[in-house]
Amino acid sequence: MNTKKFALLGILAGLGATVAINAARADTLQDIKTKGVLVVGVKADYPPFGSLSPSGENIGIEPDLARDLAKGLGVKVQFVPVVASNRMQFLEQGKIDVMIATMNDTPERAKVVDIVHPDYYASGYNIMVPKTLSLTSWSQLKGVPVCAIQGAFYNKEVAEKFGAETVAFTGVAEALTALRQGRCNAFVYDDTAIEGKLQDPTWKDYDMPLQSQDAQPWGIAVRLGDTSLADYISKSIISWDKTGLILSLETKYGIKHAAFAVQMHNKYK
Amino acid sequence: MRVILPLPEVLQRESSRALPVIRLSWRHGILLAGLLCLFTIAADAAGAAPVRSSVFAVLARWTPLLLHGFALNILISILSMAIGTALGAFLGLALISPDRPLRGAAWGVTQFFRNAPWLVLLFFMIFILPYHLHIGSFSFVLPDWSKAVIGLSLPVMANVAEIVRGGVQSIPKGQWEASESLGFTRHQQLWMIILPQAVRRMLPPWMNLYAILTTSTTLASIVGVNDVVTLAGQVLSAEGSRPDLLAPIYGYVLIMFYVYIYPIAWATRRLEHKYQVHN
Repeated sequence: MNTKKFALLGILAGLGATVAINAARADTLQDIKTKGVLVVGVKADYPPFGSLSPSGENIGIEPDLARDLAKGLGVKVQFVPVVASNRMQFLEQGKIDVMIATMNDTPERAKVVDIVHPDYYASGYNIMVPKTLSLTSWSQLKGVPVCAIQGAFYNKEVAEKFGAETVAFTGVAEALTALRQGRCNAFVYDDTAIEGKLQDPTWKDYDMPLQSQDAQPWGIAVRLGDTSLADYISKSIISWDKTGLILSLETKYGIKHAAFAVQMHNKYK
Repeated sequence: MRVILPLPEVLQRESSRALPVIRLSWRHGILLAGLLCLFTIAADAAGAAPVRSSVFAVLARWTPLLLHGFALNILISILSMAIGTALGAFLGLALISPDRPLRGAAWGVTQFFRNAPWLVLLFFMIFILPYHLHIGSFSFVLPDWSKAVIGLSLPVMANVAEIVRGGVQSIPKGQWEASESLGFTRHQQLWMIILPQAVRRMLPPWMNLYAILTTSTTLASIVGVNDVVTLAGQVLSAEGSRPDLLAPIYGYVLIMFYVYIYPIAWATRRLEHKYQVHN
């Protein structure tokens, strides 16, 4: 009876205790080569930058860039789908080694993760509104409900700079449905993506009447202190700009060339 | 002449009349399937552009991937239930232990995990447990779904503990007294007399808990596990975020859960009926 009692107490005590184990951090680049696998966090809900194929394969511009990184190291690539709200934690936890997930390069983020330079892409943000809502300036958004995607950096800016009331959703389809139902009057999103949507006849009653806000660069990120990996990626980005890989991927996935991509190609070619 | 009933009986009658117990039946399944068809047909009618594939074609194309995600939900539910039941059985026995400190500690643990929101426990496990676990020279990776299993097995444990306690306490006192007078020790009483009777009564609520747990595995999608709901969102994006697909795709996921859970609900009802206590 006594042993059983101790066993029970042990189980109860074990439940209360939390395990805190610190991993001694070795050189990530070396680890990747030893394991033979580069684990990359990419978007799986953001075509054409990162999405899934019906067979469950990761496709898009960013998975293609990741494959190029892995090829250069002579290792296999493994994808982990991330979203804006968890991508930095995944990187810090070591769940992924590299993050190529449409992340804007901002000073606050650079404190948490190491954002590799040069940046590989850039896009501005804009709003998609019904044509009936005649907007002429961003300041008219004051107090207007605006649909947004959780974790996008511009949500805060739209709320603070222009006084809009953001309603954040997990996915684009959810946000667009809310826009259509009139739960918000505008949808704030990347300008390149909105352009793509407006080409679809479903959205013929909607447009993008305002000027895009300043294009923000997108950065590939690694964990703080992974300098050798960051160096390797930095060299790869320069070679992408040199060979025009990003421009050809834009063509492959059927989007217009971003001004930033053209500019970088001209700079390094 | 009106018979004036005592208050408890009036209440009992009222409650049995006012609040019918809704049981999951096959009719609900037909209703769901019908609604899904209606949604898809309406969606097809709305988006008549020839370039787009019909909603049925979209569902068919993505079915293997969605089923793959659904299999992960089932795996999480089975593992959480197994771990939760094993721990919960011990915790439940501790709840009815004659030892006061042990009973008190077990009561505290049970209350804590029974009343904590499941999602909060999930968040806790996902962010507290390290991704790489080092024990001695062994180092292994804890994938997110395994953390979800741990996170979900905690509330299951507490609920199973309560089921065990309730099951044991539902056995009439006479059974204890009779067996004691026959010279059984407490240990023997519990294992040979009480538990065999109680387990039958525990089975229906335990299966009910499993059904609830299975639907709750979708919470894991919020913490980044690639389950069927996460995949459904990714499928929507891959199809160009068409708003007309929103209801059909999530409706399809709903039906998957229904098809899996309905037989469990049916079996639970059968068992409840079989073990019904007639006083």
